[in-house]
Amino acid sequence: MSFKDILNSKKFAVTAEIGPPKGTDIKEMLHHMELLKGKIDAANVTDNQSAVMRICSIAVSKLCLEHGLEPILQMTCRDRNRIGLQSDLLGASVLGIKNVLCMTGDHVSAGDHKGAKPVYDIESVQLLKAVDGLNGGRDMSGNEMKGATDFFQGAVVTPEANPLEPQLMKFDKKVKAGAKFFQTQAIYDIGKFKEFMKHARNFPVKVLAGFVVLKSVGMANFLNKNVPGIRVPDELIAEIKAAGKEKALDTGMDITARHIRQLREECISDGVHIMAIGMEDKVPEIMQRAGLL
Amino acid sequence: MIITKKKDFGELMENLRGYKSFFLLGCSECATLCGTGGEPELAEMKKALEAEGKEVTGTFVAKTGCQVLGTKVELKPHKDAISKADCIVVLSCGAGTQSAVELYDDKPVFPANDSLFLGNMTRLQMFDERCSLCGKCILDKTGGICPITACPKGLLNGPCGGCKDGQCEISPDIKCAWVRIYERMKKLDRLKELCETTIEAKDWAPSQKPRTIVAREEKKK
Ligand code: SF4
Ligand code: SF4
Repeated sequence: MSFKDILNSKKFAVTAEIGPPKGTDIKEMLHHMELLKGKIDAANVTDNQSAVMRICSIAVSKLCLEHGLEPILQMTCRDRNRIGLQSDLLGASVLGIKNVLCMTGDHVSAGDHKGAKPVYDIESVQLLKAVDGLNGGRDMSGNEMKGATDFFQGAVVTPEANPLEPQLMKFDKKVKAGAKFFQTQAIYDIGKFKEFMKHARNFPVKVLAGFVVLKSVGMANFLNKNVPGIRVPDELIAEIKAAGKEKALDTGMDITARHIRQLREECISDGVHIMAIGMEDKVPEIMQRAGLL
Repeated sequence: MIITKKKDFGELMENLRGYKSFFLLGCSECATLCGTGGEPELAEMKKALEAEGKEVTGTFVAKTGCQVLGTKVELKPHKDAISKADCIVVLSCGAGTQSAVELYDDKPVFPANDSLFLGNMTRLQMFDERCSLCGKCILDKTGGICPITACPKGLLNGPCGGCKDGQCEISPDIKCAWVRIYERMKKLDRLKELCETTIEAKDWAPSQKPRTIVAREEKKK
């Protein structure tokens, strides 16, 4: 069943991430694909994540298809103007890529080519509209194309953004622009997430809650201090602390599994998005603990 | 006004290597306010060049350096000093420098400054960039705050996910432009309008370079 069909059939969807490497050695990445194949419903392929130059997300999405993993092509507006974006979308379409996640993209100053010229000719809301147009057989200038695309397009949202209101305004605009599904920034507070879902449920869109496994107290503190839109509550930090250094990761995985289980049992979200960040090999185990495998 | 910064003196000397005598041209408008091309800076430059064993044949602060015809008239009395100089060093913005280029096609002209941006002076010699001269102003839709300039990504429909506690992803010292726009529109009771308008992909054609406009013909239209 395709990712789109799974979401539309109200099954609980699970997505994870494949991070293209810098360089042409793809052994480890192929190993990750092998690990996730048959377990998750689709894999996000990141687009020069954190503005660090790597293999392009279209090539790796195609590799996913060849290796039996359905890709969600991440596309940011940082590196291409509207001509480049649309042209790449058409290319992705003929390669059989169905899902696209429209994002603005981290600024070049975060990455490893700080002197690069950031493009941002258009942004996420406008990219969603462009995808909608391509699906309808027209490009951004209104030209009729020979053959339309058939993308299932999504976007991202930060449910714990501070302040939240401007973020919700953007969420609403993304829905209006044609986003069919959303993947969220990592969440750690289910109560707060429920609040966000109350808002999201006003719209006919699917929401996959984002998860990043906590590996240590240090990591939790780092996230709280440095990563926008992430807030790890004190109770969780205390829980990991109490488990001791040896069992910290294990406890972090338990917490993620527990949260996923709750989201599913209480039908809070339509699925989850597990961002492993270097721990791809742990994803199947987290799924197992959450009762998803 | 146009914000300028003095070039590193070592870099300038490198560019002027091979020339012995100079005419220095400043500007009484922006460059004077920036402290990069007024009387004191010209005097300072003269001293510095002389200390390097160079000759300064004359100095002049143009009223408005980017005004080509006005500058031409003003420079007439300095004809001899200019012809004696190997080259002209301009202490204004890139536009002022190119006025001199246009007026003296047989003489090398060198910039002493780097031109940075169109800025607002918020305090004495403190400048903020607020407009990028995009060619089609959208301040009407954004509560008078320019997201093309104030947001490092130039986003037109709301904040990115990088906004942290109201501050910008790029620098914790800058407030997120979209948080500012949202707050201002809220204060003006125009939130509904902000939330319900999706700003379309910007037409960048009006910012296509180089731009030329004949204002007197615009008037007739
Ligand atoms: S929208 Fe911004 S950059 Fe464009 S003219 Fe207005 S203030 Fe300047
Ligand atoms: S944090 Fe705000 S100002 Fe900074 S890039 Fe994102 S939207 Fe623009």
